Amino acid sequence: MRKWIVPLTIVCLITGFLLAFQLKALTDASSVNPMSQKNNNLISIIQNLEQEITGQENQVEKIRQELDTLQQNQQAPGKLNEMQEQLRDMRLWAGLTPVVGNGVIITVDDNKEGLKAKPNDDPNRYIVHYEHILSLVSELKRGGAEAISVNGQRLITTSEIRCVGNVILVNTTRIAPPFEIRAIGSPHNLAEMVTNGELEVMKATNYPISFQAENEVIIPAYKGELQFDLSQVAKED
Amino acid sequence: MWLLPLFGLIAGALVGSTISFQVPPIYVKYMSVALLASLDSVLGGIRSILDKHFDGAVLLSGFFANALLAALLAYLGDLLGVDLYYAAVFAFGVRLFQNLASIRHHILTKFRKRREELR
Repeated sequence: MRKWIVPLTIVCLITGFLLAFQLKALTDASSVNPMSQKNNNLISIIQNLEQEITGQENQVEKIRQELDTLQQNQQAPGKLNEMQEQLRDMRLWAGLTPVVGNGVIITVDDNKEGLKAKPNDDPNRYIVHYEHILSLVSELKRGGAEAISVNGQRLITTSEIRCVGNVILVNTTRIAPPFEIRAIGSPHNLAEMVTNGELEVMKATNYPISFQAENEVIIPAYKGELQFDLSQVAKED
Repeated sequence: MWLLPLFGLIAGALVGSTISFQVPPIYVKYMSVALLASLDSVLGGIRSILDKHFDGAVLLSGFFANALLAALLAYLGDLLGVDLYYAAVFAFGVRLFQNLASIRHHILTKFRKRREELR
């Protein structure tokens, strides 16, 4: 064995390591500047908070379900049964229970093909805006939808559909394309409203859309909190 | 057998590219000086083999001392507000090219000698 082999191998080994390490660090570093590192921190904070929110929401839902079963199990005499039935109806109307029924599922997505074909065009003309969702939801409501969800977020009386920066918030939860809007109601009436309205406009502007009538549309319960601190029942004269 | 250093280089590169540990971006600059020093050591080692005065201790000590000192000096320079980084890059860059030139000369003379023997 020649005497230079071992030392040179050691040196080469470490040099190779440094070389690959540095290459990797540089390719990473070119995409990471201090600003985006700060952004990464923010992103992880947001993700953690969102995870926490989901956990809390699940807990709220679990407790509500427990409450439901407790109320159902109690065999109460007289008026209480009637009241429980009323409560069940109220909860259904308020959107606190998952519901299933005849309805439609609408999906809309960003017009990626259109933007690819004309990369220099204003991207705003190819992405789905909150106005689209808002119009579709309003039309569904007008068409007699009894329950509506957007990307799994149940819409209740206090639900917002809001544009914040480049994301859309529904029930203060970020939602991203493709957007799936589910609605329970007469498919015929719902179709009548949306296909003569926003959906037709979106189709004409080449957004990828789909409209499906289904027998069993499942819509989840509202998982957020309900706050009625200031409202009081007004006395009717 | 003489391919062993080459395998070492490849093995090191594989380990370096798979390892998930990352140097903070501020230190990438010092790493690059250390890398330059170690590349210089490799070429210097090959040159000394061709010059027939190879010494393992000299190579290894030079390797570690140069890489560490270069990185440290560059760091110190940044602390003092003097760009010693460029001095290190210049020094090792020049040596690197000298070593390369020397290796090329050796290979060329060897090649010519062999051709003359064949004639």
